[in-house]
Amino acid sequence: MSTPVLVTDHVSKWYGQVSGLNDVTVSVPPGITGLLGPNGAGKSTFMKLITGQLRPSKGQLTVLGEPVWQNPNLYFRLGFCPEQDAFYERMTGLEWIAALVRLNGVGERDALAAAERAMASVDLLDVAKKRIGAYSKGMRQRVKLAQAIVHDPELLILDEPLSGMDPIGRRRTIRMIREWARQGKSVIVSSHILHEIESMTANILLINNGRILAEGNVHQIRDLIDEHPHTVYIRASDPRRLAQEFLARADVISLRFEPGALVIETGTPDAFYASLTDMVASGEYGVVESLTSPDDNLQAVFKYLVKS
Amino acid sequence: MTSTRRSRSPGTAYAALRVFDLSLGGMLWSRRTVFMALVVGLPVVLSLVLRALAELGGPVPRFRGDATGPTVFGLMIWAFFVRFSVPVLAVFYGTSLIADEVEDKTITYLFVRPISRESVLLGKYLAYLVSTIFVVLPAVVLVWLLIVPIGGSLGASVFDLSKDLAVIAAGLAVYGAVFALVGATVRRPLVVGLVFVFGWEVVALAMPGSFRMMTVAYYMQGLIPHAMPTGSALDIISRVFTETPTLATSVVGMSVIAVGALVLAARAVARREYVLDQ
Repeated sequence: MSTPVLVTDHVSKWYGQVSGLNDVTVSVPPGITGLLGPNGAGKSTFMKLITGQLRPSKGQLTVLGEPVWQNPNLYFRLGFCPEQDAFYERMTGLEWIAALVRLNGVGERDALAAAERAMASVDLLDVAKKRIGAYSKGMRQRVKLAQAIVHDPELLILDEPLSGMDPIGRRRTIRMIREWARQGKSVIVSSHILHEIESMTANILLINNGRILAEGNVHQIRDLIDEHPHTVYIRASDPRRLAQEFLARADVISLRFEPGALVIETGTPDAFYASLTDMVASGEYGVVESLTSPDDNLQAVFKYLVKS
Repeated sequence: MTSTRRSRSPGTAYAALRVFDLSLGGMLWSRRTVFMALVVGLPVVLSLVLRALAELGGPVPRFRGDATGPTVFGLMIWAFFVRFSVPVLAVFYGTSLIADEVEDKTITYLFVRPISRESVLLGKYLAYLVSTIFVVLPAVVLVWLLIVPIGGSLGASVFDLSKDLAVIAAGLAVYGAVFALVGATVRRPLVVGLVFVFGWEVVALAMPGSFRMMTVAYYMQGLIPHAMPTGSALDIISRVFTETPTLATSVVGMSVIAVGALVLAARAVARREYVLDQ
């Protein structure tokens, strides 16, 4: 059996009196693993613990066989893409990535070359010399991915990497993550959207209220998820045109407009996302700026799982 | 193809310099630099007014006693820079070395690289030092150029100017280290820092006994190269100098404070868990 990339043994984390993670014992195998849970479930705490930003209040955890808290050498083998949309806005993407990889002890010339490769692998080479402050949301997400992969790590830890991306950006990033895994790297990726995780891996950790509810094959909970309508917020340049198209479709349960967004409920999310991506790619429906999905539907599934 | 793979963390000095590279631009172009320019701009504007009045033959305020341009310059160095601009800038910058990155949520990128957290603090501190020196020292030179020629000679006071610049740079270094420690360890560092500068240091310097040895200002007194003017209000200020440490005591005292504060601050940063708001 292959050596796990992450092992936690009764790990808990408290923020004062508040529990962020409660007695978590998991063993994550190599490959892609999805961490799935609604906002506030403990995903971010889990991510911060396994990237050494926080120290467990109780229990032990090892990443790639080593303790992570106060172990900077481990970051040669680990790349992390955080959730927050935070950057050195005045720097260009290339400068930023090169400056970060120089922290790995890489010389200036090699750092620039590595930064260029990383920017190319996330399709940002054409804007590499533009200030990050001028990047679109999707570009900002991708430049975060670039800084995570620039030093060619064995394990990538990605916190909500698809959040706010347009459909084409999502498809491209999912493809990229799968490609990294095919190259023998391991990936732990968090999301609150099952379909995102499912498009990358079948191996999931289901987290809620600071506890791991289930781990294993995504298909086991897939049927449960499908019983609940999935809500999607679409910010687009021409939402009415999109709405017209979707009104005629059987997989759309309801459709409404909210300020700046078209809100769609669908019973078949996979088919919906596939057709939306095709529509955007056709260029006939204007620009889709971002897609977001609230936690409501996933939360309903969790309630159902906890009850059962 | 060049490899980016390494297995051992780069040394603290190398890592600190890389963090310095990454931080300097952001620090120089931050809103704090505007604040810093305002703080050091005040004596420049005052000097400009005095010089303009002198040049135009207007009602220039007469300096009393033996006070000439160089002496007034020395007084401005003490009152405006050493006792005000330097500690104030150090409070605002020093307490926020790590806090700014935490507030901007960019600290994550530094903490998930194979460098020690101590080197992050050290690199940020170096960036603070260079950016404040870059703004403050030119202001001192401007004040010198404007004030000293009023009854004095620039050539004769060049050596004193170079010592003043060194004292101010040393002040920025020591106060910056102290407030880096404050920023790394207490909940309301700005308030604590301001109380230290405008409360504790003022009171402790005026108190008899050894309390004054627990201030930075006390050690800086021993480095000030100027003789203070005599007469009226200036006398009151000059009394501060009645008990000054020797140069050696000052240098040793300031070095111990700076190094000790930086070491403690670095340890605090290394052990602290930073929880960023989502």
